[in-house]
Amino acid sequence: MTLERLRADIDRIDARILSLLEERMEKAILTRRLKPGTRDPAREAEILARVAARSRCLAREEFTTALYGSILGESRSLQDAGLRLVGFQGTHGAYSESAVRAWDPGAAAVPFPEFGQVFDGVLDGSLDYGVVPVENTLGGIVGQVNSILVTTELRVVAAVDMPVAHCLLVAPGQDHREIRTAYSHPQALAQCRRFLERNRLDPVIHFDTAGAARMIAEERPKGAAAIAGRFAAELYGLEVFKEGIQDAQNNRTRFFVLSRTAPEAEGNKCSAVFFTDDKAGALFRILEVFARAGINLTRIESVPDEPGDYAIFLDFEGSDRDPGVARAVSEASALARDFRMLGCYTEARL
Amino acid sequence: MKNLQLAGAKEPGARSVIEVRGVRLGEEFVVVAGPCAVESEDQVVRTAVAVKEAGAKMLRGGAFKPRTSPYSFQGLGLKGLKILDKARRETGLPIITEVIDTRDVSWVGEYADVLQIGARNMQNFSLLREAGKSGRPVLLKRGMYSTLEEWLNCAEYILAEGNPNVILCERGIRTFETYTRNTLDLSIVPAVKMVSHLPVLVDPSHGTGVLGLIEPMSLAALVAGADGLEIEVHIDPPSAWSDKDQQLTPEAFVRLMKKLEILRETMAGLDARVSEGSAS
Repeated sequence: MTLERLRADIDRIDARILSLLEERMEKAILTRRLKPGTRDPAREAEILARVAARSRCLAREEFTTALYGSILGESRSLQDAGLRLVGFQGTHGAYSESAVRAWDPGAAAVPFPEFGQVFDGVLDGSLDYGVVPVENTLGGIVGQVNSILVTTELRVVAAVDMPVAHCLLVAPGQDHREIRTAYSHPQALAQCRRFLERNRLDPVIHFDTAGAARMIAEERPKGAAAIAGRFAAELYGLEVFKEGIQDAQNNRTRFFVLSRTAPEAEGNKCSAVFFTDDKAGALFRILEVFARAGINLTRIESVPDEPGDYAIFLDFEGSDRDPGVARAVSEASALARDFRMLGCYTEARL
Repeated sequence: MKNLQLAGAKEPGARSVIEVRGVRLGEEFVVVAGPCAVESEDQVVRTAVAVKEAGAKMLRGGAFKPRTSPYSFQGLGLKGLKILDKARRETGLPIITEVIDTRDVSWVGEYADVLQIGARNMQNFSLLREAGKSGRPVLLKRGMYSTLEEWLNCAEYILAEGNPNVILCERGIRTFETYTRNTLDLSIVPAVKMVSHLPVLVDPSHGTGVLGLIEPMSLAALVAGADGLEIEVHIDPPSAWSDKDQQLTPEAFVRLMKKLEILRETMAGLDARVSEGSAS
């Protein structure tokens, strides 16, 4: 037992307490829309009674009830703050959360394990917005997200095109000579393959990038580093050993911000999805409409739907309030099957 | 000299050129300048800006320091590398920094443009091999007790790993003279050129250890045919944490660079002028 060892344990425990507090506040905010008012005295009494009953030895009752009093107080004021709730898939510190912050620094970003939960949360009103990755310059389209976009009723209200700079993160005080392994999402590991080889680090697969950073902060495994964004390092108190370690420097991800209603402000970019009949020239005739109208297409992507049937995603420049664009859209709708505008929005390029 | 399969001269006059971020070592006269040790971001960035303005093409600075005493400042380590990286981003100057431990080679290579192997480690063969494998250009200083043949054999270790980018650097040898820190052996410069194709720099700072000798020996190195110089410059030498008696001020460095420029112009086409003279 040394002072250093014990203090390292305490630091690890603090990291977990803070993560848990964050998670508790998120759940509390989410309850607000499911109950009539912020205050629920019966529920608070129930929590305090349970805390009192579980208090023993060093975590004495006077202390724990006072602590919980202040936690409940903070939770009430957060519920009353009327924060914008924005869902993202992943763990805190994920690149998606950086996109949320880039779009609205004041929003409360709430993590979910699955993309479907983000869409559902926005649909049922428990979230105001959802931020999801659509495509990455190195990895291509994000299949799961695009599959849901084919049928979703949600509208795209903004887009964020963001550089992704992977960082090698280590626990403070980690001796660089002892780093042997790097934990991260398989895609991030693949994007940093040459860096890992150069420095003789073994890649270890983790369910996501920020989750790996959190694990390093909370568990401090020997000789281990994580690959995640700089934001994850700030969040979990890790050291950025090196920034921008991906093998190709043009690593960018594009995110959609989704909502139940279209934005009020005029956009400069549009997204649509449609199907075509299975016959010669069907897609060509639709694209021709945009070519003749002089509208620049910025993305065409096909996503398999029913066997033999493909949903076509189309992004193009312009506003749907521009008569020329509106005319092209209505002409294209007549030629396509199930032509649907996903939204007209402003895209931020960082 | 036997067995210098890669370091030895192949055809007379053929010289290796080592390119580092657009700087062509072995072709142009390159002055590498910067502090002995990385002490702080402010110190390194200010020194880098000053030496760049004076005409230096590369920045030196030690993050891992081999010190005579274990109680002396050992360098800022990784933090020092990040500071050098910052200075490179601010000035565009490529970075030369020393590596002293095989376990650091890949990490130093992540930040540095050129790995320096110091005089004390010249014959650290595992370090030489590791630096060779890194693929980064290596500046190999001459050991203070080493003959030319031993030195070139050390270069051979790096070259044998498939890394052709080796730059030699004379930094003085031990003799009975104690007035100077080392005896700068300028005769080795033309000697290297006779037996090897590798570029060779001269470090007059360690070579003399005496402030007043740095300028004359720099000029002499140019005349002797060196491909460049490595000079210690500190933004404020009296406050330096190491080698405070042999680091030039930026002002003294500017003066030296001006003299070098004039000397270079004077020397230009020297051989051609001599043969013209004999023809007339």
